[in-house]
Amino acid sequence: MGATLLFGIFAFLIVACSLMVVLAKDSVVSAVFLVADLFVMACIYALLGADFVAAIQVLVYAGAILILFLFVIMLLNLDIVAARTNAGPLEIGMFIVVLIGFGILVVNLLLGERIELLPPGDSGLSITGKGNSYDLGLVLFSKYLWPFEMASVLILLAMVAGVLIAKRGKKKQP
Amino acid sequence: MVPFNYIIVLSAFMFFCGVFGVLFRRNIIAILMSVELMLNSVNLLFIGASKVVGNLDGQIMVFFIITVAACEAAVGLAMVIAIFRKFGSIDTDKLRVLRG
Repeated sequence: MGATLLFGIFAFLIVACSLMVVLAKDSVVSAVFLVADLFVMACIYALLGADFVAAIQVLVYAGAILILFLFVIMLLNLDIVAARTNAGPLEIGMFIVVLIGFGILVVNLLLGERIELLPPGDSGLSITGKGNSYDLGLVLFSKYLWPFEMASVLILLAMVAGVLIAKRGKKKQP
Repeated sequence: MVPFNYIIVLSAFMFFCGVFGVLFRRNIIAILMSVELMLNSVNLLFIGASKVVGNLDGQIMVFFIITVAACEAAVGLAMVIAIFRKFGSIDTDKLRVLRG
């Protein structure tokens, strides 16, 4: 019962923060609400038994990516972009299609059969019984070793690309 | 604990918010933040599914999604800076030329 109540609180916070992210006029307000959103999502991960992913979520998202966003907002020193929306017929049409799909999905899920989660004591998620981080490391460095190495190559590429794109163009020599 | 259906609904709502932001915001940084929101909704779905089937693969997949999201944020924000240098604005309406 306590877990259900906690999930309800977190779900409400996520809904409110997500709406504020997309509706706030100021980019800084959006970024701060995105931090709150990601933090509450980490809470839900912990509730679902994914402790290590919750820690990574707080460290990487709330710690690194959002700092990057805030840093860029500060660097560009923007005025608040006027609160117009580019609502052409194409955007409104796409939005209506997405809205209909979302409605169908929600109605189906709320009226359809319940898909139960495993109970907290179930041993399906723990291989060795030494905790979530231990099991995750075991799987990550055996079954997913090559994707893991490829991820490091991807990060290297992104770093090089970021430096190259954001670098100031060469000054013309006189 | 709640059934998986509610988790899917929550995740779908976050994805919906992200789509709304991408379609209707005109600030490029806000669009990037909406993309982050969509990536995170998928993460939530993966964690929930891993709890349903009792398998750690979903949690591993979240790692890779976080990696890709970090790369996307870095490259995307570098592009925002380049666009701001070029056009002096990050309003999507100002970016009407395709040629460099």
